[in-house]
Amino acid sequence: MTEPIFQQISAFADDELSADECEFLVRRLERDPEARGKALRYAVAGAALRGELLGPDPDVLRRRLSAALEGVYVPVRRSPPEPGWVRRLTRPAVGVGIAASVAGIAIFALSSGIGFNDGDGAPTVAVDRGLATGDSEQPPSYVVPEAPGTEGSMTLTNYLMQHGQYTPAIRRASIDSAVASDSNVWQVVTEAEPAE
Amino acid sequence: MPRRSISRLALLGAAALVAVGAAAQDAQSWIAQMNSAVEDLNYRGTFVHLQGEVAETLLIVHRNDAGRISERIMSLDGAGREIIRRENEVWCILPDTETVLLEDRSDPSPLVSVLPSYSPELSHYSFNLHRRTERIAQRRTQVVSIIPKDDYRYGYRLWLDTETAMPLKSQLVDEAGNTVEQILFTQIEISGEIPKSAVEPTINTAGFTLYRPPAMVPQTEQTLSLAQTELPSGFQLSAAMQGPMAGSRYPVNHFVVSDGLATVSVFIEDPKSTPEVAAGFSRLGTANAYSLTVGGRPVTAVGEVPQQTVEAIAKSLRAR
Repeated sequence: MTEPIFQQISAFADDELSADECEFLVRRLERDPEARGKALRYAVAGAALRGELLGPDPDVLRRRLSAALEGVYVPVRRSPPEPGWVRRLTRPAVGVGIAASVAGIAIFALSSGIGFNDGDGAPTVAVDRGLATGDSEQPPSYVVPEAPGTEGSMTLTNYLMQHGQYTPAIRRASIDSAVASDSNVWQVVTEAEPAE
Repeated sequence: MPRRSISRLALLGAAALVAVGAAAQDAQSWIAQMNSAVEDLNYRGTFVHLQGEVAETLLIVHRNDAGRISERIMSLDGAGREIIRRENEVWCILPDTETVLLEDRSDPSPLVSVLPSYSPELSHYSFNLHRRTERIAQRRTQVVSIIPKDDYRYGYRLWLDTETAMPLKSQLVDEAGNTVEQILFTQIEISGEIPKSAVEPTINTAGFTLYRPPAMVPQTEQTLSLAQTELPSGFQLSAAMQGPMAGSRYPVNHFVVSDGLATVSVFIEDPKSTPEVAAGFSRLGTANAYSLTVGGRPVTAVGEVPQQTVEAIAKSLRAR
């Protein structure tokens, strides 16, 4: 276990990571399918070594993972810097977040019996997902609402963006322009304008 | 009239018809080249989007890396919204509302394969290849007009770069002949190389709210179908899929209806879903939407077509 990612996973399991390191690990697992695969194997191997997979109660791991998944919502905000007591309080939450991430992966893999090569197909569980801006840059953080509000205009904009993927390329620029223009908002038209 | 003159007239008429036909074919050929150019070329430029009295300046960077298409569009005015299109996803970054919309572009469902393949005949439009050329953004352009034959679709006037067929100016024309939208490049570089970094987002989205599709949603039975005979003339179902969508807890059914040029999407929500979209018409730019409930399911048709078209298409849904 010489790779830093493995060392971090191991340290996480031993509760030796700081909140910042936990946050970094969550991001790494989110972005890196290979690292997620390693994390899964490590988690499963660790559980097996501790007898959690085989008994006396074979559902221990599943229950523990399910508990970690339930209601877990761990927004990760980079700024403003939090005071020390907040960091101490949030540290377990970040830990639960990463546990949930690994747990979701583990449950999915255990239930489906498949491996972990496909990063795109892996479920993501209440963790932040960054839009990578380049390999050398730290990805920005996002808050993923547990139950996103669906205001009418947001829903319509969603529809329009989705629709734009099936329009001829020349019209896509127009759709993108309409969405990109902050002076444009959806207008409700109460009555149909009569056709000429 | 002497028989010889009649023959001459008939010959001239036939020649004129052949010329018109050839011009229309040339115009369609230009449009086909344009569609390829917009997707396949590498380019970056600045264009003005004019709609009514509102003008917005936007930057576009389009990269084709051995068939992997990515694109960044950024508003240079106002809050500077940014849209990133990649192969399998679309990111819409709205700094004014500190929001990010993510749409995954999933593969169409297996249903698509059983649908009749659609061959765009574009029979509901006529085409005109103008004789004149015009200079746009320091490049010479060929002007092409696309004129709809009924009120269910918009028309276009296009100024296409004579070297590459890139559209350097386009006008969308409504059923009354009014120009409702213009896109005009003020500067464009069509080059062989665009670095990957040029299509990466430039906005720091730390702390933004991300709306993205749920990772997995249960599939639901499709209980609505399009009554094809009630679609506006020329429109056909060209794709159908079901999948997660940002902001929806349940899978959304998505039908795409097209006449070969204009497209309309129909979104059918799960009966348990509450998308909070007002019933009736909505409008954003040149896009019209019409929402109603069919068989207990919220339905919205949206597209850059006249209002009566989205309404007719939305109302063509029938409970099975």
